[in-house]
Amino acid sequence: MLLTPEVIAILILDTIFLLFACFAFYISIPIALKWDINSTSAFQYGLEKKAILVATIIKYIFVLKLPLFLFFIFTSDKISGVITGAMCAAGVVNSVDFGLSLFIFKILNLYIFGFWLFLHTEDMKDEKLKFTKLKFTIFIVAFLLLITEIFYEISFFTSLDVDKIVSCCGTLFSAASTSTISFIFDISNPVIVTAFYITFALYLITFFLKKESLFLASNILFFIVSVLSLILFFGTYIYELPTHHCPFCFLQKDYYYVGYALYITLFIGTFIGISGSILSILKPEFSQNYYRTSLIFNILYTLIVSVYPVVFYIRNGVWL
Amino acid sequence: MESKINHFMIGFAISSILRRGVKSFFTLFIFTSLIFLLSSILFISNSIKAELGFTLKSLPEITIQKLQAGRHTNIGINRIDKLLEFHGVVSAIPRTWGYYYFEKAGVNFSVVGIDSFDKQYKNSFESFVEDVDFDELSKNSSMIVGVGVKKALNDNYYKDYFNFVKPDGELQKVTIASTFKSSTSLESNDIILMPRDMVLDIFGMNENEATDIVLSVANPEEIPTIIEKIRNLYPDTRVITQNDLRVSYQNIFDYKSGMFLALFIISAFTFFMIVYDKASGLSSEEKKEIGILKAIGWKIDDILKEKFYEAFIISFLAFLSAIILALFFVYTLEAPLIKDIFIGYSRLKPTFDLPFVFDFQTVFLLFFLTIPLYLAAIIIPSWRVASMDADEVMR
Repeated sequence: MLLTPEVIAILILDTIFLLFACFAFYISIPIALKWDINSTSAFQYGLEKKAILVATIIKYIFVLKLPLFLFFIFTSDKISGVITGAMCAAGVVNSVDFGLSLFIFKILNLYIFGFWLFLHTEDMKDEKLKFTKLKFTIFIVAFLLLITEIFYEISFFTSLDVDKIVSCCGTLFSAASTSTISFIFDISNPVIVTAFYITFALYLITFFLKKESLFLASNILFFIVSVLSLILFFGTYIYELPTHHCPFCFLQKDYYYVGYALYITLFIGTFIGISGSILSILKPEFSQNYYRTSLIFNILYTLIVSVYPVVFYIRNGVWL
Repeated sequence: MESKINHFMIGFAISSILRRGVKSFFTLFIFTSLIFLLSSILFISNSIKAELGFTLKSLPEITIQKLQAGRHTNIGINRIDKLLEFHGVVSAIPRTWGYYYFEKAGVNFSVVGIDSFDKQYKNSFESFVEDVDFDELSKNSSMIVGVGVKKALNDNYYKDYFNFVKPDGELQKVTIASTFKSSTSLESNDIILMPRDMVLDIFGMNENEATDIVLSVANPEEIPTIIEKIRNLYPDTRVITQNDLRVSYQNIFDYKSGMFLALFIISAFTFFMIVYDKASGLSSEEKKEIGILKAIGWKIDDILKEKFYEAFIISFLAFLSAIILALFFVYTLEAPLIKDIFIGYSRLKPTFDLPFVFDFQTVFLLFFLTIPLYLAAIIIPSWRVASMDADEVMR
């Protein structure tokens, strides 16, 4: 158990989230089951009022979760100084068995809660509130994910052991490791780079085709391939070290915190692309602006990530 | 995606805060003092950590102490030759130092012996030895003292010299040659520097003994191997590395601020209750206001938004003013009273300046610890207020 001020702060916020989310969950079950906009009963009237409370609570949770996610990484980076063997957040996160799942849940929840808010804004614009039932059904699923994440996080911080020796990111993210993700290192560099740019080209094509379902698929694909290529290829150019594949170290000061810029642009780009497309499918008259916003951020991400190898090649005349 | 910020609404929120002047001021005041206390503690702990980190860099890579029956005892100087044989060890220096308890002032002095012929292990001492003619020190049996020591001696009328009591009861008169000021005052405040043979004399130590041995290692990668070898050669020693010290400092200060934070949670919870209560109990005046707003067409969402603006303005104002106050309190006033929590009550320690450290991580930490709490406290009461029916309230 490690009680630094940062960890206590995260735990306090987790407790607040947990209480509020449970409360919102309790309210949203009748809404999801019995919502009927055409009814004029007092019950329906009460539900409409309660729906606003739940929406406010979810807004509150999401608006805090977003910066808290960055703060979580920052904290893990800081704790890495205390834990033997860890050099960045990767070592700390992997010091427990479920570290990777905690991380995946965190990212997944960001996307889901963000999408929920997106849906909510659209719902409030619609005078018939036609997404309300869907919205609350999604929340019930999101609630379960959130609870899982919070319990993972609490047990993560309680099971951190200062004296336990953990692996550093250099061994976790290498072909020789036996960790859960090591199989991706079977992909060779040329393959992953080509895959990345082909996905990006596909993304551009779907952008011009303006077909929601294709755009949605290409965004999801782009996100997955981007993360993989970042670990396998682009990361090594940021570190200028062919053996270092860690997706966390470039969040540190030594690399000018470039990781934050990368992850934030990638998140905004794909998030707006994905949730915009889903909304468009649900509601055909939805504004098409999201195409452009998504495009801008994804291009920005691609540019930043491509600059590193190019600059390296210009400087040294060889590829890594 | 989100609707744009409504300036009129912000204006309305501000005037609403001002209308309830005393009530808002009360909340603002309590919240400010809470954040102020918390941020002062975190700022002080950061400063001391930074100062210790700075000191740490000037310390040797490896320190070797001898243990006997689980306690630290003097180590034989003859071990140095063996230690120097290890590859990678650049130098091994015996250190002679100890604490001298000065009863009248109730303080411990750190007496450190220096040898001008040995390579000095500390940069600050090295530059100091060059400054003052070291041979003079041993000839006149004089010493150099830290600022804090000088003050403690002055208060007890030892203006020019001090009488050390040796283990056999004899007095050793040592004159004060000059005061010693290091770039970091935390380490030099309680220090007395004098020639090594005099230290041996005062502490009644053997000529071929030292308090501990410090090693400097050229390549930090080799440190673990060297430690392993030392442990095999001398199993009765305790080997401390720079990294061990760094980790334990970090743990101690995280622990101390964590302890304080645990107390903070209790007061924050009380505050939470106060805000919750304040936000739920509405005067008939306020109820009427909500009723009128709804009657002229405000939606539940609008009232909630207005309440949120109000809460955010109050909490952010409290946050900003608390941080500015805390910065002033810690770095200009040197944090009276609170500083003692961290540095203990030894009378010789307190006088040193806290170096200015300001990192955004701490500000974020404070932000996450305070503002969400306030906002959380008002969500449900505000909703309850906002969802009241207009006709019911105005009646």
